Amino acid sequence: MTNLVPGTRPHALKLFLENPPGLIGALLLAMLLGIAVFAPQISPYDPDDRVGRPFQEPGAGHLLGTNDIGQDILSEIIWGTRASLTIGVVAGMLVTTIGTTVGLVAGCSGGTVDNLLMRFTDLVLIVPFLPLMILLAAFLGPSFYNLLLVIGVLMWARPARIIRSQVLSLRCRTYVEAARAAGASSGRIMFRHILPGVLPLALAQFVMSASMAILIEASLSFLGLGDPLQKSWGSILFYAQARGAFITGAWLWWVLPPGLLITLTVMGFALTGFALDRYVNPRLNQRQASG
Amino acid sequence: MRGRIGSQLVQYLVLIFLTLALNFFLPRAMPGNPLSRLAGEDVALMSPEARQELLVRHGLDRPLAVQFGIFLRSLAQGDLGYSFQRNASVASIIAERLPWTLLLTTTALTLQTLIGVMLGGWAAWRRGGSADYGTMAAVMLCRSMPSFWIAMILLAIFGAELRWFPMFGAFKPWLVGGDSLAAVVDVLRHLALPVTSMVVLGTAETFMTMRYSMLDVLGEDYVRTARAKGLREAVVLYKHAGRNALLPVATVFMLSLGFAVGGATVIETVFAYPGMGRLMYEAVLGRDYPLLQGTFLVITLAVIAANIVADLLYPLVDPRVRST
Repeated sequence: MTNLVPGTRPHALKLFLENPPGLIGALLLAMLLGIAVFAPQISPYDPDDRVGRPFQEPGAGHLLGTNDIGQDILSEIIWGTRASLTIGVVAGMLVTTIGTTVGLVAGCSGGTVDNLLMRFTDLVLIVPFLPLMILLAAFLGPSFYNLLLVIGVLMWARPARIIRSQVLSLRCRTYVEAARAAGASSGRIMFRHILPGVLPLALAQFVMSASMAILIEASLSFLGLGDPLQKSWGSILFYAQARGAFITGAWLWWVLPPGLLITLTVMGFALTGFALDRYVNPRLNQRQASG
Repeated sequence: MRGRIGSQLVQYLVLIFLTLALNFFLPRAMPGNPLSRLAGEDVALMSPEARQELLVRHGLDRPLAVQFGIFLRSLAQGDLGYSFQRNASVASIIAERLPWTLLLTTTALTLQTLIGVMLGGWAAWRRGGSADYGTMAAVMLCRSMPSFWIAMILLAIFGAELRWFPMFGAFKPWLVGGDSLAAVVDVLRHLALPVTSMVVLGTAETFMTMRYSMLDVLGEDYVRTARAKGLREAVVLYKHAGRNALLPVATVFMLSLGFAVGGATVIETVFAYPGMGRLMYEAVLGRDYPLLQGTFLVITLAVIAANIVADLLYPLVDPRVRST
């Protein structure tokens, strides 16, 4: 939230304090970030070590029991926070960068370039998402970078559309016309005058994309298509499902906690995103849903 | 209007072409022997003659352009490939699975649209109140949950613990051909938990759309006129405002129809429901590439078909689009 647009910081802070959902979202994210950063200090065991009997129930030594090969589930979940937040933030940045670039170029260029880019964007929007991801992940092989690639390639379309419409409205503002009249080059107008105007919106899109990316990572990992070397909430649930945790009582400590954390993380991002959206675009409440 | 549909059609054709190209190039661009990607990894177990025959059938000894031609021609003849693992044509496997997915997803889609419309309209009517914020919060919470997790929790509680519903599959094989009422009840019982998972997750979009659009409509002059005439609030809400507010919901519904074919992958996997999504997952697990690609192609075509239908139907639902 630092100085994206000069002079907006106090308002942004006030916004979060006065907007309970936004505040809850920001607090949730701060808490999760804390868990991720301090994972080595908080987690009782190394998540990759076999520290007990398999399928142990929760007890003094293992608060959430152990998994099918005797790893401590609580430690797995704590370390999983890292994986989920990392994929969320990195994929969110990738998606937002591509989306903002496409939206900016399309909106500023207009004409044929705009037309072609937007046709392509519409194309990406109707592609069936998860099936294509499964197809690509299956062919490329499971790894962190392939996951990033797949999410990045497929998710930028919505941010691009939103950024472009903002660019179109900024283009007609008088200060942009003034710059044009003063002889500024189109590149200078794009980067110096229009880009700062879309950055807050891009930030909101980043937060939304991050929450989507976390859900997608969880789904792909759950299907066994995530990074096999990294503990993530999705992969914990994959093993819980594969070992039939929900047939025994084990679902209470093996299935419930990771899913709750995914939900809280996605909620945290979404609430923060809505607060940002409302801040960036105060007229959101009156917008045409059919738009 | 005609021009818009025309350019839309061009777009769909491009998408179909890109999908075909992707399906064609993916197995060929990967390192290693493309034959194993085209026919599944069982080719290693085949006799050299059989492998040679496959090589020729897929035209792998010919130039790439010719290969693409062969690929398109066999597709046009309805040949989606052959799964050596299952010893059946991909088309016949898909034909067996498709009805189950359609049953599952259309049921879920209908329910979530009804619930979303009622809740959304109600929330908009009580806008700004605790009922509005309460439903919004609940819907957001539901939307934040991973679909497979909802499914696992429902399965654990209502399947394993309480034993109200069956744990997996779509029907009990021994009931097929017997008492038809018992068989129908059995299918419905198998449907209950997967449908509930999808509804919990899917209601959010309809709800949000309905709420926003209802808020829009409630501000219109004719709604105020209706109120001023002294009509009851329920009549104003359902007969005057509701009908117009439904338009964007119709769009959401029609677009979701397309995703219906492929959208349930994860939930079908948890419940071992014998649909398209589960099929795709099985293909991934078994490295059955022809089956994987065939399934993906059918899913994409379904999405495109639903988009085209939505484009064609929309003017019928909303006369304002027709006049422009």
